[in-house]
Order: sequence, then C-alpha cells, then structure tokens
Amino acid sequence: MDPRSLAPENFAGYRPQARAFAEKHIAILRSLPLPLLSILIAQIIDYDLRFPAEQRTLDRQFDTLSRMDTTSRAALLDPFFQIELSPELLSLDWLHQPHVFNEHLSAALWSTHQIDAYREAGQAYEARLASALVGDVPSTPRFVIVLVGSGVSQMNHVLFRNLRPHGVLFTALDPKGAHEALFTLLRDRAAKEPEPYAHWYIEGGKPASELVTNPVTVLSYEALAPIAFNELNLMHRFATTPHTQSGISAEDIQSFMASLGPKELGLAALPGDATLHAFQASILTNGAGTQIFSTTFVQWTAREALRRAQPITLLARFSPRQVMASMNTMLHRDPLTQEKDVEGSLIDADMGAYYTWLNLTRLAGSEQSRFLVWFEDQRIALAIAPTLPRGTTSSSQLTMRQLLESMADASHLSSVS
Amino acid sequence: MGGKIFHTPMDSFHKAAFECAITRRNFLRLAGLTGTSSALLGFSPLIAQQILQRRKVVVVTFGGGARDEETFAPQGQENIPNLITHLIPQSTFFTQVVNRGILGHYVATASLATGVYERFDNFARVAPQNPTIFEYFRKDLQRPAEDAWVIAPSNGFNRIGQSDGSLFASGYGAEVVLPKELLASAVQQRLPHAGKLDFVLQDNYEDPFVTPPAANVSAQLDRVQRLLRLSVDDFIAHASTLSSADELSFFVMQQVMRQFAPSLLWITLHDMDVAHTGAYSLYLDAIRRTDRLCAQIWQEIESNPEYKGRTTLAILPDFGRDSDLDGAGNGFQHHRTGDALSRTTWMMALGPGIRQNVTIDRQIQSLDLVPTIGAWLGAGTPQARGQRIQEIL
Repeated sequence: MDPRSLAPENFAGYRPQARAFAEKHIAILRSLPLPLLSILIAQIIDYDLRFPAEQRTLDRQFDTLSRMDTTSRAALLDPFFQIELSPELLSLDWLHQPHVFNEHLSAALWSTHQIDAYREAGQAYEARLASALVGDVPSTPRFVIVLVGSGVSQMNHVLFRNLRPHGVLFTALDPKGAHEALFTLLRDRAAKEPEPYAHWYIEGGKPASELVTNPVTVLSYEALAPIAFNELNLMHRFATTPHTQSGISAEDIQSFMASLGPKELGLAALPGDATLHAFQASILTNGAGTQIFSTTFVQWTAREALRRAQPITLLARFSPRQVMASMNTMLHRDPLTQEKDVEGSLIDADMGAYYTWLNLTRLAGSEQSRFLVWFEDQRIALAIAPTLPRGTTSSSQLTMRQLLESMADASHLSSVS
Repeated sequence: MGGKIFHTPMDSFHKAAFECAITRRNFLRLAGLTGTSSALLGFSPLIAQQILQRRKVVVVTFGGGARDEETFAPQGQENIPNLITHLIPQSTFFTQVVNRGILGHYVATASLATGVYERFDNFARVAPQNPTIFEYFRKDLQRPAEDAWVIAPSNGFNRIGQSDGSLFASGYGAEVVLPKELLASAVQQRLPHAGKLDFVLQDNYEDPFVTPPAANVSAQLDRVQRLLRLSVDDFIAHASTLSSADELSFFVMQQVMRQFAPSLLWITLHDMDVAHTGAYSLYLDAIRRTDRLCAQIWQEIESNPEYKGRTTLAILPDFGRDSDLDGAGNGFQHHRTGDALSRTTWMMALGPGIRQNVTIDRQIQSLDLVPTIGAWLGAGTPQARGQRIQEIL
C-alpha cells in the first residue's frame, strides 16, 4: 500500500487510542517515506499499550513534525525517500504487521548496503526532533538502585571498575538495615508521587513482595520464568513443525517470536494490566537471553523500563543465574531449579549495573539523577549523585541511610568525606 | 520511545574508528611491546618472497568479535595474556581493520574469504557468490584438494569453501570440516556419551532454534576415520575431555595439520559469540579461551616440521561488537548497530618475512586479506576488491 493513499478506514483494526492518533495525524502519515513510516506505525499500533511517557513522546514527535515548514520537512525526509525497497518488501503488510515489515526492512538494508545511509538519515531525524524525543525532565530527580552479588561472600573481581570514575566508592558501609533503607526509599518515593509506572522493582529471583506496595511496578524472573518456558516450548514446536521443504529460517522464527503476545504466552494469569503484560511479553520476545539467564533478564528489563517508562525510581536486584549448559539443554530445562553460577553472576551483574547507569544517563534530567549500586550484604557500594564528588573513595563508616542522605543533600557530604 | 528510535548513525565513524586504533596503539606502546611504522619504510617484499619458498598460510578468525574493552584496553589486557606477551611481540599489528559489510558471522567470514562484501542472508546455507581464496590458490597453483582446508562452526559454514560457480569454475574449493557435525554424527552412533558432550556441540547463540539439516551420519563417520585417522570411539573419547566447541575445532585442526599439512588452512573460532546470551562472565571466559587457543595454534605451527619456519599466521576477528555508548545497542551483547566500533577491529600477522613488534595505524579493510594471502602464496585474486597489505608482503 502506498502511504499517500492512507485513509481513516485503514486504521479500523487498530485499538481505540491508536486509531484516534492515526486519524488525527493522517496528513503527516501520508507524507512520510515508508522506511520511516513503518517505524512510527510500529509505535502507533501499540499506542494503547504504551507507557504514559512513551505516549507523550509520540505526541510531541508528531506535533513537531506538523509544525515543521514544508521545506524543512522535505529536507529531513528526503534521505529516507532515497532508500530503495524491493517489490517483495513493498508487498508486505506494513500497516497491520509493522514489526514483521521492520524485520524484513532491517535485513534488506543490510544486504543492499543501505544500512549506513539509513542510519545517517535516522541521525538527522533524531537530531532535528531531539527536544521532542528526549522525554520529560522529572520534577523529582530519578533514583536508580542496583543490588549485585547475592550469595557471594568472596570474590577475585574488581567491582564497579567502569563506574568508579563517576562517583564515590564506599568501602565501609554497614550492611545492617541496608535492605530496609533501600526499600523504604522506594516506598516513600512511590507514595509521594504515585504516578503509574513511575516506580519499579525488578528482581532476578524471588521478589521481596512484603517490602513493596502499590504503585510500585514489580517484575521478577521467578514469576516470568514459567512464561519464558511457555515461549521456548512454542518456539520449539514452531521450529520442529514441517512448514516448507526448505525448512525454517531465522527470519521465520523471529517473525513467529514477534507474533507472540501476552495471550499466547499466558501472561493474563499474572497480576498487572494490559500495558504491563505487553511490556513483559516484549522482554521475553525481544530480549536475547532474558528467558534463560536471570542476570540478563534484570539487565535488559531495567534497560527497557528506563528507556520506555522513564521511571523516577528503579530498584534492580540481580540474583544468581543458572550455570551454563549447551543452549539446547538450557532451552529445555527449568532455570529456577538448576545449580547457580554465583561468581559468574556477580560479574554479569557488575556489567549490568554499569549498563543501567548508562541507560539512566540517556534520560532527560540525568545531570540531577542519583545512582547507587551495592554489593549486597557487604560493605562496598558506589554512589553517583550531583551532591557527591567523582572518582573518589570513602572509607568512612556509615549506614545505608546515611549514604542515601548524602546523595539527596550535599549538606551530608561532611559525614562521608 | 524515550531516546533512540533508530540505530545511531555513522557520522562519527572515522573519529571513533581512529580512537579505537589509538586505544590499541596506546596500550601496546604503554606495554612497551611494539615499535611503530606509519610509512612503508624499509620494506623489501622481494627478499621476503625469496625467503619463503613452500610458504604456508594459517588464518584464524573469530566469529564473534571481541571489543577493545575486553582485550586491548587497559582493563581488558588480563583477558588476553597470550596475545599480549607471546604473539604481538612477534607480529605486525594493524590497529584499524574496517569491515563495511554485513555484520553476521557467516556472511562476514565468507567476505573475508572472497575479498568481496558478500550480500547473502547470513543464516542461509548458501555458497558465496565470489571466488574464494581457496579456489584462487588451488587453481593458480594446481594444488590438490587436500592442500586447502577450512575448519569452521557448523552454523551455515558448510558452503564456505567454494563459491557458487557463477563466477569461477567449480572444483577448486577447500575441504571444509565442521567438527561439531562430525562429533554429532559420532555421538548419534554412541548415544550414551551425548550428555557429556553438550558443551562441545554448542553451535549457534543467535538463533538456537534454527537447526541445520541432519548430516549423513555414515558419511560423517567415514570422514572421521578417513580425514582424522581416528576411530569413532577415540574421537568421542578425546572430545569428552574438552570443554568447548572451539577446543574441538583446534583438536581437529591439529589432526588435519598432522595428516595433510595443507598449505592454506583457515579456522574460525566461535565460542565468544556466547555474548549473545547477555552473560558477560561467559563472554570473558570465551575470550580467555580464544586467547589460549591462539597461542596453542602458534605452538602447533612451530612444533610441526611441515609448518615451522615457513608459515604465516594471520589472526583477526570478523568484526567487533556494539559500543557501550551507542544507545541503540546493548553493548557487548550484540553486533547490530553497525556503529564504528562494531565495524572496526584489528589484525596481527606473524611468521617469517613479517616484521616483528610493529604497529600499523593506517586503516585497512578486512577485504584486504584475500589479495594479501594471494601475494603470500603466489596466487592471483583478480575478483577480490581489497588491496594487498604492503606492510606484510
């Protein structure tokens, strides 16, 4: 279908908010080149299931496009119009299955060596719409907490190496009462600003449900592992069912995976609304390794929560993942009942903490954000905050509560310096 | 939708690639390991070629790039002690090798072997369209099939030894051995061993549900005995002592070197692609194992009379992995963004006629490997797009 011939009735199959959004912006949609339009349609079609922050970003993006003068918009879009698409690609149903179309688009861009031109066009687009895409500066600075090293008593690994230049390494933290202090912070912030999806607790093992209350959004690997198992079984069944003489290709499997939603995965049985279920499904279908390794699950979920929901509080706790086995074995066994690789998990979590901080820095207002990573039950933590110096080490004795206070208020600096 | 909606662009490609090279150079310089060469001073390629009669070439590629952060950067050096202390001091080291093709392991390795950026689906079991270095070598020098070998992961690589015949006469390809396919066939006959060999049979971390077509078991078992001169039981018994697929590949490589002593031998190591699971510790383990295997390969070359003193070894990743700083990716886990760091890697060459302890900063392309191997072996590579790397001729 040619984008120029889009009509309101073409969106009849969309959910209500998505349909309304598409109809409101149909003039813009008609003017867009397909390699860009398909990316935006993939966001619009799920509009009803998007987080509030994502909806606001999409609204701003289209408002910006609509306000842009014709010449500027043509210059911005022209590089996308120069991308050549094959007749096979053009024949795909980008309007109703944009995710499938985009997978094929990606493969085509690589194989036709147009990926660099596409990336360049994307850069120009993002730069021009940066103010619309960057998201909201929160009224309260974001606070992200990461717990690593559960179950580890000794290690031969230098912790927080990538993070040290950016904050203070505390080496004499009193672990007593630390958990309570951290969860109290999470609860207090959620109670103070009870916006939906503004406060998250992501758990690699069994969630400490007794320590959190609404409106904290809770995701745990323990709860989602059975769903992941469902997914792997569905994929295995698909991959081993004879379809064609040529067999199943990687693209076939990826398309099948993309087609799996909350209903197919059995997410409806879990607590949460449709938005959360869609997010959970995306974690398990778009994230590589999230199904088999709890450490990967926590890292990727924290990344996606920050990128999409843009929460103001996030607590991510890494737990030991199962030991490595062959992929075939891991795809067919219960990850929760396997032997754990405790030391390897600490290394995974250390890198995961660094990536979580990097993802925090990509959000609006990041210069005011707070970040804390604690080697759980141990005396080592690292804190990054505008109230704290960078690249320093503190051997002062302090409690977790004191550390949190120092991150909130520069006046507490003297107690930790 | 907050943040990136596109993969980040290539605007800073050259800057990032250069910084990448500087990182490697600085590390090597700080470690006091290498001299420098920014110009083609003092080369005497004719002399080198005179010296190297009956030259052999061994190419080691990594089908799963390793980033500087985990290798040549200061914090990464602990992962590659053998490359740093044993191999780089003997090598000419290129700090900027750029791959502008598709960043999938099979298609990228095929491009390395043809000297042309192949454009086929990475997961398709197809032959490269353009002639391979194995075909150039065998046809030009009229060498038998046993003189060119490829040892590769089984995820699609079974067609890498010979082009599809559309541009080059067929019949000059390399012997391709897929160790895991051999072992899987052996295991199928001796089922009780299967559980112990799961690690060694590990194949594809990107699409674990895509299983290759079943091999002809009897034909594979025949290959075990004919090519490796091993009984099926001995093959399984040895495999049972190994802990990874790359160790199995190295074992098969040793057998091939000892049985056939091919003049052109290509091995692709793949363990580090475990990074796709997102487990950083497993990725580091694989880098350390690869580092050890590279040293063992050189030791095998130096201890085998057929190879000692006449073999040039080239080691290079097929490409890199995504940068931590590109928000479109997820750092070490994948190689999907096409950013500068995922396209930029390094290469070392060592052996007689290659200057030792030298670092080259000028940018070369991964496509330059084929014309260079052709020059080493005396074979023309007319359809390869790359340029001969003068510094190591």
